[in-house]
Amino acid sequence: MSVIEVRELTKVFKIPKKEIGLTGAIKALFMPKYEQKTAVDRVNFQIDEGEVVGYIGVNGAGKSTTIKMLTGILVPTSGHARVLGRDPHKERVANAREIGVVFGQRTQLWWDLAFIESLNLVARIYQVPETRYKKLLDQFAEMLELKELFHVPIRNMSLGQKMRAELAATLIHEPRVVYLDEPTIGLDLIVKERIREFIKEQNQTKSTTVVLTTHDLGDIEELCKRVIIIDAGRLIYDGPIETIKQQFGKYREITFETIHSSERVTLPSGAETTHVEPRRLTVRFDRTLTTASQVAAALMNQIEVKDFSLSEPDLASIIKQIYNGALNREAA
Amino acid sequence: MTRYLSLYGYFLIQRFKILMEYRLNFFIGSASTAILQAASLATIWVVMRQIPSLNGWNFYEVILIYGLLTMGESITHMFADNLWTIGWNYIRSGDFDRFLVRPIDPLFHLLADRFCHDGIGNFVTGALLIGVSMYSLHVALTPLRAIYILVAVISGGIIFIALNLITATSAFWLTESIPVTQVVFNMNEFAKYPLNIYHNAIRILLTWLIPYGFVSFYPASYLLGRDAGPVVWLSPVVATVFILIAYRVWLFGLRHYSGTGS
Repeated sequence: MSVIEVRELTKVFKIPKKEIGLTGAIKALFMPKYEQKTAVDRVNFQIDEGEVVGYIGVNGAGKSTTIKMLTGILVPTSGHARVLGRDPHKERVANAREIGVVFGQRTQLWWDLAFIESLNLVARIYQVPETRYKKLLDQFAEMLELKELFHVPIRNMSLGQKMRAELAATLIHEPRVVYLDEPTIGLDLIVKERIREFIKEQNQTKSTTVVLTTHDLGDIEELCKRVIIIDAGRLIYDGPIETIKQQFGKYREITFETIHSSERVTLPSGAETTHVEPRRLTVRFDRTLTTASQVAAALMNQIEVKDFSLSEPDLASIIKQIYNGALNREAA
Repeated sequence: MTRYLSLYGYFLIQRFKILMEYRLNFFIGSASTAILQAASLATIWVVMRQIPSLNGWNFYEVILIYGLLTMGESITHMFADNLWTIGWNYIRSGDFDRFLVRPIDPLFHLLADRFCHDGIGNFVTGALLIGVSMYSLHVALTPLRAIYILVAVISGGIIFIALNLITATSAFWLTESIPVTQVVFNMNEFAKYPLNIYHNAIRILLTWLIPYGFVSFYPASYLLGRDAGPVVWLSPVVATVFILIAYRVWLFGLRHYSGTGS
């Protein structure tokens, strides 16, 4: 059953154009000029019940704007969004009962209240039945190790504690759809692992649908079977994570710093130069065809190398390559 | 409705738990407003010593006006103080979105989020002033007058809230609404004195456009048996009309917000 349905979803913002100086400010006051900025541009997708989908893109790609339309905060400029068959904005309250949202760095809990009091208040707002609430509280306390945090006010919590508290508060009314915006940012590995386990568990036992926006490839690899990539408001990829991993996981990059500039080098097959600067050379190679040592050895035979470093392609560069059509071309 | 009332009660309990944690802050807050009132009263006292009668109103009669205004104002202060900080604390920070993803009315959530104890000092001061004035002027507190005062104070509070709600809505466009709210709110200074001392334009302004007159001057006129015409019965009507308009304005602002975001 499709839980989230998005068709030709578009959001255009009118942004006041700022002009420089006092005259500019006065002009803007009396004759404001606006610029149109398309944050989300005719996006289509469907998410089924129980799916965990990574919704990724660089900053400003349109991720939050999409989430805001799906949670009913923003009205689409055009197109169509349905969550559990409802228009999220027109039926905002009914939609709110079924969803849970974690907004990255912001807390939805009361800064000065002891955590358990905040939770009680949230449970009342969502009208969670008393017995159910008690049961969930016990479960969450165990899974997220919350027991010792119950009497701590949010303001005294560390980042990791805050995020665990936040997740508990977001899921205490057992929403059917959960939007998580950067749930593991800035956290250490152990807390990250615990949070991922918790999300996985909720998804498996309750078939909670999860939309996850993150910059952390680890989150995506561990939680999502499917990713949707958005760039400059356009959907550029929607498909299994496996395809991306096969295409890009096999590449590595080596950057060489050389004594002399050298533009022409011969490389083993499967390797190619991707970036040339004076005294700096970047080589990308396919791990299934050659190895780092072969590439390095071949190069060192031809030129004097001062230093070199090996890197895995990061999400931003993958997105860039996908944007340039790399995935489609190679997949075809 | 019962759900919202019980929810408000629960919010209030949590708020007092926080306040008790900062006990000193709590007492300073409540006391500071009372001290500010004392300073304001001293000014009136000095003025009235020079001119024993302001267009036929003596010191204790002016105190009654002042007391009614203070009580009305204390109601906004206690229950709707977040209207002042909506721009800075909620819209600018993005926290307003939190209200929109919860299954309750966002305006209710905004107001319930912070009961402001500073208003308690004003509430008590206002009540005392009304008492002192009526006692000194030998105006007996008959059941009819008691009900009249109750209705006048509640209507007065609603008028204050309505005006602050209208101006606070500008935060959806300007992000910071305090300057706009301040301008309108400060007009209540005029309502500390009998409206008949002012030029007609100001009297009309404070009666029909920014109706602080219905918080203080008209109810005081009735209680003192002065002939001010049928307007002395209009406070609840004006309060109802203004709060309905204000809510419409608020909804309009909310629609703008969902079009543009923050």
